Amino acid sequence: MLRKFKTIQLDKLNNEGVATLPSKERRQFLRFGLAVTGVFLGGSILSLTSNHKAWGAVAGGKALVGSFPYAPHYTMVIRQSRCIDCELCMEACKSTNSVPAYGYRTIILERSIPKDLAQRERAFMPILCNQCNQPSCVRVCPTGATYKDSVNGIVLMAPRKCIGCKTCMAACPYNARYYKDEARAIDKCDFCFDTKLRESNGKTTACSDACPADVRIFGDLTDPESQAYKLIHTPGNLFWVLRPEQNTVPNIFYMDT
Amino acid sequence: MNNTKHNHYGIDMNITTNSATSSLPPTNQILIFIVLAMICVIGLAFGLHTMFVGHSHTFGTTREVPWGLLITPYVYFACLATGLCIISSLGQVFGVKAFQPLVNRTVFLSIIAMAAGLLCIALEIETPWRVGFYAVFSPQPFSNIWWKATIYTLFMVSMLSNFLLLIIKHYRSAKVFGFIAIVLVVIGTLNMNSDMELLGARGFWSDNSMPLYFLSLSALTGCAAVMLFNWISSIFTGQEMSSQDEVALRATGRLFLLLLLGLGYFTVVKVMGGFFPTMTNNPEAMALLVRGDFALKFWLGEVGLAVLLPLVLFFITKGENIMVLALAGLSCLVGSFVLFYNLVIVGQLVPHYQHYHIVDLPQYYPYSPSLHEIMISVGVTFFFLTAFVFGEMLFQKIFTQDQS
Repeated sequence: MLRKFKTIQLDKLNNEGVATLPSKERRQFLRFGLAVTGVFLGGSILSLTSNHKAWGAVAGGKALVGSFPYAPHYTMVIRQSRCIDCELCMEACKSTNSVPAYGYRTIILERSIPKDLAQRERAFMPILCNQCNQPSCVRVCPTGATYKDSVNGIVLMAPRKCIGCKTCMAACPYNARYYKDEARAIDKCDFCFDTKLRESNGKTTACSDACPADVRIFGDLTDPESQAYKLIHTPGNLFWVLRPEQNTVPNIFYMDT
Repeated sequence: MNNTKHNHYGIDMNITTNSATSSLPPTNQILIFIVLAMICVIGLAFGLHTMFVGHSHTFGTTREVPWGLLITPYVYFACLATGLCIISSLGQVFGVKAFQPLVNRTVFLSIIAMAAGLLCIALEIETPWRVGFYAVFSPQPFSNIWWKATIYTLFMVSMLSNFLLLIIKHYRSAKVFGFIAIVLVVIGTLNMNSDMELLGARGFWSDNSMPLYFLSLSALTGCAAVMLFNWISSIFTGQEMSSQDEVALRATGRLFLLLLLGLGYFTVVKVMGGFFPTMTNNPEAMALLVRGDFALKFWLGEVGLAVLLPLVLFFITKGENIMVLALAGLSCLVGSFVLFYNLVIVGQLVPHYQHYHIVDLPQYYPYSPSLHEIMISVGVTFFFLTAFVFGEMLFQKIFTQDQS
């Protein structure tokens, strides 16, 4: 049966050379090669380009940093590998913003990341409201009780408008909201909008100020002098956001250095 | 005087009938009404207690699982109202003769189902007194919740107008409101899908087939309720069902069968999602539903009670026996409640940071309904039953009028 099929012995074929290849095929081959190279080197190339138009370093994400629609455009860069889980940030947040014992605006999660079959790496991951540019919580709120500040982009609460339907809690991909009984409204991180941020003229937040390891770098993405701006725009720095597949365009960035 | 009747549905009815001159309903009807109303009041008292002391003290909901049991009766009754509106519109708006004898009672059932749903959500949210004011003076038109409140309020107004016009026999004007109501509930159902789909954190709810699922499920529960409550009505009032009513109920039964097969298809899709992770958007939630902690609820409620038992009952009697159709409807309604419970809860139980290797993060968030949540659900369900009995006592003559 096999004899019916003509076998091609590649080593006995004449080399046609590239001169006879149509230019279209050459271009396709080059494009394919570039695409493969790009996939492997994508992360490195990404870190060298201007981050104004950078795309998500984590698969599935939209633009991490696009244009900055707010001025000031507040952000926080979290240098994850520096965190020692001392929880001073959490304490400062609670005392500054009258957060009750049963709730929290920010928390530190402990990660155990598998490195290979035998080893795991411990890391601490501070979590807070991501002040998203496309916040699902704002989108679902029926009364505008939670809204994006038109000046600085902070996701704020108007407690008197909150009906307590908790749809924003269900919609938040970051588990950054809780119901505060005392206010009869949802409470969340607002970068200490009415407290530390106001006192410091927009320079810092309670958690950032309290952190002894400079993990939480608060800043303004439209201010080139801001440390957060510099970290984000330094070539070679690789940063990521949480749950990029949710397309919320967060303003909290994580990095390891 | 007491009469013992044996009707052709095979049910012994011990009925106390009134003299023709009295306008009061029979004593046993009043007693049933009082018992149902008392259970309703007890259940709703738990809701009032919750409003005073705060949900965090009485509900089993948490920061991670903010929507609890009470979302289930809300969505359930809203879908039931939608389904009943669809069934009533078949006779009233679209002029299908077979369904016309059922129109008046179905319109009433739809109104009380929506009222029960709205009552439930009023007790579920923390500060319902803010809704009226801020929904009007601080509307957020991008919010599906806002649209849902608006659409269902307009639906209630339309259906109440519809029913009032039916009472005074202005059938043409009533038909206009019936049409508005059917348009509104269809939009409301599609909106409910968008509402859940928007909750991006919970991929369980986002699926392209969800609008069709919600709409067919609503129509199915509507059929089931029509079959069940018309039969209960004949028992409760002691009046034999007219032949037109029987024809109408058998027609409803055939529609019920068709929709049941549709639900069966969706159930098979869920089962496949539970066993084959690549076939679903949220394999963790589907695994929990089909072969995890929710498996008993799924197989017994969603598969057994909602689909299989009604199918068996239908085929045994070939959809001819009204009582068996009613039982099939009851089984489907109970199973659908379990289905809605699973739909609301399971999607929330998958942890937010499940792929981040968080230490001590449970595989699934825990949730169990509290006594208050259960009692409020009971209260709302008995509100519906009380209103049904009240309607039977008050509008009996109107319910037996034929639209045609």
